[in-house]
Amino acid sequence: MSRADTGAAGSAARLLRWYPAAWRDRYGDEFAELLIADIEERPRSMARTLDVARGGIIARLADLGLGGFPLPAAGAGAGAVDPHRQVRVSLGTIGAALAVCLAFGAAMQSQLTIAWEWSTAVAPSAADPDPPFIPAVAGFATLVTSAAMLAILVLATAATIPVIVTVAARLVAGAGRRLVLPVAVFAVAVAVLFTGGRQFENGWVGTGGHDGLIPGGVAAFEWATSLWVSAYWAHPGALAAFPLAERAWMLVTPFALAAVALAAATLVRRAGLSARVLAFEARLATAACAVTGVFLVGVACWVATGSEGAPLFHPGLIDVAATGALALALAAAVKAAGTASRSLRLARKPA
Amino acid sequence: MSKRADGEPAGRGLSGFGRYAGPATLILSSLADGPKHGYALTKDVEEFAGVRLAPGTLYEALARLESQGLIQAIETDDRRRPYQLTAAGATALKAHLDAQRRVTDVGLRRLSINWTTGWGTA
Repeated sequence: MSRADTGAAGSAARLLRWYPAAWRDRYGDEFAELLIADIEERPRSMARTLDVARGGIIARLADLGLGGFPLPAAGAGAGAVDPHRQVRVSLGTIGAALAVCLAFGAAMQSQLTIAWEWSTAVAPSAADPDPPFIPAVAGFATLVTSAAMLAILVLATAATIPVIVTVAARLVAGAGRRLVLPVAVFAVAVAVLFTGGRQFENGWVGTGGHDGLIPGGVAAFEWATSLWVSAYWAHPGALAAFPLAERAWMLVTPFALAAVALAAATLVRRAGLSARVLAFEARLATAACAVTGVFLVGVACWVATGSEGAPLFHPGLIDVAATGALALALAAAVKAAGTASRSLRLARKPA
Repeated sequence: MSKRADGEPAGRGLSGFGRYAGPATLILSSLADGPKHGYALTKDVEEFAGVRLAPGTLYEALARLESQGLIQAIETDDRRRPYQLTAAGATALKAHLDAQRRVTDVGLRRLSINWTTGWGTA
């Protein structure tokens, strides 16, 4: 153990690890000096440790754009804040948070789509005079979520194109060494999701999409990639009856989705997007947050109202949990979008 | 009305700081007396307010104040970097203290009327 690792300096160094690298670059030296002075006055203090831990967590949230204010950066000059860095970081966070929204949203939307399809596929007959029907609120929720999902996919495509172009240009120019790993992770995870989704969509429990709101193939793929959002995790006995491949797929999917989201966020942070592209992406992110808010209103209405006497539209506890997760992720995205907007205003100010 | 570094008007005092307004007020009040580094700030605040700002709380507030342009760091070779109040910071502090003084004046006046003449003495 070196001398720096012992005594007050060592304790200060250990406490500093609560903070993110960007914060340590900016405040690390002076904060360590203050901690050393404080430790020498009060060698043991649980209150200090808890205070530093709390401050470190808040700094990490701020570093992700979730603190409601741009984090000052080392070398940012008199302005203290590097607004473009903060926009990049915030956009990465928004992307990851909206990916969580999309994952849980897809699970609920595919459930509504299945119910809608079966409700329109069976006509009244002598054998079945009381066929499934589409209740008012659940029908409204299905329409709203379908329209919102389409809008989110359009916005996501529009947001992805400039990032892909910038990343490709940097890789071709040989200036993208730090982009290789996230590109590889992104490509592998997308390949896993696409291959698995295509494989398992054969188990789609819809009607083939002939009477659906969205094409059957898309609905089936959406269903397959959201199989893991399931109440079966709470019933291991019932889950064990599933084929091994399907259980493996349910286990792999959330990791593949997380890999896609994290790799995309890393690429946005590292790609060196121009100020113009950053402003464009921030506008799209704000629009995506608004559309996801509409989606949330749709599913919340459905979950709050229940099946309205239509068993096919019955929302389970898993849907309540998914709605909660979606709301939390959306709140994070909105917070980060606010930080991105404030940072862009800072960037536009004359020096 | 002057603007803060993030483009928000500074004349509203520290209303945007929410529960962080307490440490922010103490720090700005301390810096109104001249530039100080973290340890000197802690000692000064302890002396004039009787409050010891814990290191994490102090730097959380410093980062917020600095990001909003209410204080700024002074370049130095010393590891202990001093901070100074900016013009926007002085305006925000004055607005915040004026608002606090109005509350204090009203509270003291009402206390002097109602708590020395009978009904509130129980």
